[in-house]
Amino acid sequence: MSKYLEKLRNCRLAIKQNGGIIGAYLQLFRTDELKYGNHIGTDKYGNKYYENKSYFVARSRWIDYAPKYGYDFDGSQVPADWHRWLHYMTDDPPTKVKPCPDREWMTDHEENLSGTTGQYVPYSTVTPKIHSWNPPKNN
Amino acid sequence: MPLKLYGLARNVNISDKDPDMDWKSITDRAATRMFFKELFKGYGITGSYLFREPATINYPFEKGPLSPRFRGEHALRRYPSGEERCIACKLCEAICPAQAITIEAETREDGSRRTTRYDIDMTKCIFCGFCQEACPVDAIVEGPNFEYSTETHEELLYNKEKLLQNGDKWEAEIAGNLKADYLYR
Amino acid sequence: MLRLLPNSRILSKAIPPVNISYKARECASKAAETVEVFVDDKPVQVQPGSTVLQACAQAGVEIPRFCYHERLSIAGNCRMCLVEVERSPKPVASCAMPVMKGMKIKTDSPITKKAREGVMEFLLVNHPLDCPICDQGGECDLQDQSMNFGSDKSRFTDNQFLGKRAVEDKDIGPLVKTIMTRCIQCTRCVRFANEIAGVSDLGTTGRGNDLQIGTYVEKMFKSELSGNVIDICPVGALTSKPYAFVARPWELRRVDSIDTMDAVGSNIVVCTRGGDIMRILPRIHEGINEEWLADKSRFSYDGLKRQRLTSPMIKDESGNLISVDWETALLRVCDAITSVKGAEIAAIAGGQVDAEALIAMKDLLNKLGSESLNTEEIFPMDGSGTDLRSNYLLNSSIEGIEESDAILLIGCNPRYEAPLLNARIRKAFIHNEIEVGYLGPKIDLSYNYQHLGDTTTSLENIKSSQFYKEHLSKAKKPMIILGSSALQRADGTAVFAKTQQISNELKEAGSSWRVLNVLQRVASQVAALDIGYRPGVENVRNNKPKVLFLLHADNETVRREDLGKDCVVIYQGSHGDQGALMADIVLPGAAYTEKEGTYVNTEGRAQRTLVAVNPPGLARNDWRITRALSEMIGQPLSYDNTNEIRDRLAEMSPNLVKFDTVEEANYFKQSEELFKDIKEKIKQDSFSLPMIQLKDYFMTDPITRASPTMAQCVKANNKEA
Repeated sequence: MSKYLEKLRNCRLAIKQNGGIIGAYLQLFRTDELKYGNHIGTDKYGNKYYENKSYFVARSRWIDYAPKYGYDFDGSQVPADWHRWLHYMTDDPPTKVKPCPDREWMTDHEENLSGTTGQYVPYSTVTPKIHSWNPPKNN
Repeated sequence: MPLKLYGLARNVNISDKDPDMDWKSITDRAATRMFFKELFKGYGITGSYLFREPATINYPFEKGPLSPRFRGEHALRRYPSGEERCIACKLCEAICPAQAITIEAETREDGSRRTTRYDIDMTKCIFCGFCQEACPVDAIVEGPNFEYSTETHEELLYNKEKLLQNGDKWEAEIAGNLKADYLYR
Repeated sequence: MLRLLPNSRILSKAIPPVNISYKARECASKAAETVEVFVDDKPVQVQPGSTVLQACAQAGVEIPRFCYHERLSIAGNCRMCLVEVERSPKPVASCAMPVMKGMKIKTDSPITKKAREGVMEFLLVNHPLDCPICDQGGECDLQDQSMNFGSDKSRFTDNQFLGKRAVEDKDIGPLVKTIMTRCIQCTRCVRFANEIAGVSDLGTTGRGNDLQIGTYVEKMFKSELSGNVIDICPVGALTSKPYAFVARPWELRRVDSIDTMDAVGSNIVVCTRGGDIMRILPRIHEGINEEWLADKSRFSYDGLKRQRLTSPMIKDESGNLISVDWETALLRVCDAITSVKGAEIAAIAGGQVDAEALIAMKDLLNKLGSESLNTEEIFPMDGSGTDLRSNYLLNSSIEGIEESDAILLIGCNPRYEAPLLNARIRKAFIHNEIEVGYLGPKIDLSYNYQHLGDTTTSLENIKSSQFYKEHLSKAKKPMIILGSSALQRADGTAVFAKTQQISNELKEAGSSWRVLNVLQRVASQVAALDIGYRPGVENVRNNKPKVLFLLHADNETVRREDLGKDCVVIYQGSHGDQGALMADIVLPGAAYTEKEGTYVNTEGRAQRTLVAVNPPGLARNDWRITRALSEMIGQPLSYDNTNEIRDRLAEMSPNLVKFDTVEEANYFKQSEELFKDIKEKIKQDSFSLPMIQLKDYFMTDPITRASPTMAQCVKANNKEA
């Protein structure tokens, strides 16, 4: 019996965490799932990270993509420092232990832009090997 | 008869046993068949999984565990000062079994040895990781990113700028992983 | 043979040579007995006086070495060649130890191995671990030998954090890059500079751990053979500056070829990567360049990537050259040719044309009815002229210099006109103690010579000179080398006749030794004369042709002012240089690395280049352009591929397809008879040379003029002077 009571409790906590009945409904629509857990941190792009160890590994950490992405969320929107935690390479979230000191040359995270106008287009980084002769002009 | 004599033959009945033919058994079988009991049992199992914890993960919200040594998308790293690490020794190019790497180099204005071209054809690459093993300065690494699928082939022909950009983007994680793992290398 | 050099000849130019060791050599070669030694218990018969290392080589065992080099004197300072010799208390340095009868050499014993390992460890203590950025990486003797003979671990610990030995880099010019920390003090470069190149710029300072290679004061390594120190350096201390950091040896494709910067025809290997020439290295040919290469040949390859003609061009209404396609350009040529009479067409061939292009041009012009085929380089045509091959060849061959016992140089500067020939003369001078006489302006030939005057009068009075009386007339195998620059004079015929007369007087009756030698300056001249081109452009100047083909001709022997106003000049060549500047139509041809061409060197040795890279852009192989043109004119030439044009060459002159053989040419007597009718007198003035100093050497043809490296050399030389 207690098993079922716990399920109900989980359900209540999940609904509560996701912002009531309507919030939970929208969340369920967006993520196909309702979960609750500890809010570990938020990255600078607005993505929220949660952990609940009562789920098995691979489900115990998850990301709630920032509202600005709407329904255009994508796996490649996870920035490098949180990526490491989200993929269970470390147990220390970057809010607790920074993976490496910040360098000024490090750039902001960028999602995979394939198929958009911002996509990478390969180009040659070298100068041409043969220099043609340009005849002098008379006038 | 002669087989039995040598004790080699043993008769085993492998066909189904004959069903019990008492009255109770007969009515049970009839009821099971008439009311599709097995079918509903199957529905029941299916339905029970609605309430169980799923065994799959809900990508892209949940992600599977990766090793710090995971060999994903390539990146060229920099020194903390911002100076690119690659010294154009071409060992990665030499060891690459798929010949995916192309390097051209020259003397930079300050006299140091640098590449002018560092191209990786990601569609040739077999992600063996030999390039990062061969690299004497930890410049070329296979980062943790695997979410770089593209819509066209040409987008996977990475050049030096793209690789350096990858390095700048993923440095936090690459550095963390290398630090976590250096003792075991 | 244990090579002990007479030091007086190498180092000092003032002390007169002593003729002792020459006689000693004679004696040694007479004693033909051999000595039996045992290399790893295997008996070998070796010449007495050989070194242990040579004996091992004869037995098929290669001893590791750093300082020993077959063509240099023995230094014995790297100690890598230590081997165990039975009944010897210590391992011996095999490169310097002469063999003794019954010697038992152990090249694979524990003592030998330990000795090698120890030497290797000492060398590596002070060698930086910068193989990844070292240009020698992949072809480094130290890398290879530490893999083969070194220890698997290092005991080097820098307890006091003093660092390894570090040496300041020297700036020795724009060709050789020095990273002196990598130096293992084998002194090969010092010995090369002193013995082969004949410049005592390099030397050592300090002792032991502090030994340094350098130029004492900061200066350039001024030699025309300086690039060779890069090859002989066993480590990455001396590397090529233009090649710095650009490629690795394992990614290069090597194509055998022939150099065309001078008439020596050095054998080269063109190293390419992805259709781009990375560097040029010498290829061993004992008859020509041994294993050396002159700087111009080695470093001018970047000129092949600059100023290139990559598409056909024609002049538009305003007189500017504009790029067009092949059809338009060839049609324009057709129009020009068909609108004039055959005899009004002429061609001038430059110094770097292959025999195939020469013969295609000749066949085309002959078909059109013109005989006016000329070369830029002049050769006297009176008397027997170019009819007798012996007149324009270096008859006694480059290798023959080593047999000769007295050499007279007339009006040439072999040091810059043919650096490797000069290296041979220097080799003969040092090892055979020959005497060299020289007629011409005073120059530095890198060896001592007797200066016999710089005027033509001295040539006429040569017989009264001391050199003639004491050395030349007494020599068994005298050589007279007449420079092509002396024949460019107005009185070239007379100079040639006089030289021939002297040579024939020196020739011993019955001997097959050939005294008279002509040193050509450009690579295509011998082939052009073999095919039947007329040397000199007088013909063009006087006849004023209506259509003039310039085949790689860029030396401004004919200027626009010399030609008629209505003359159509068609330039076919590889570079935008003087020729293309005066042209109305430009047809882009291929340089020597881009075509399969035949070149005949000054000895008359036909050699073949192979395609190392494709011609850039729309440029095409030269003879194929001429072939296409003939098709358009409606007079197609009879050959379509390389084999067929080679058959045509064989028809013309069989020696042109007998690759790497020197054809005998022995008509000196007849030639002299023909020259007797010449009444021309030698003019009284002094010989002049186009190349006197090193800075004159670097830029002489369209390729070198386009080369930034060569420009830097000139700049550096001007600064130094």
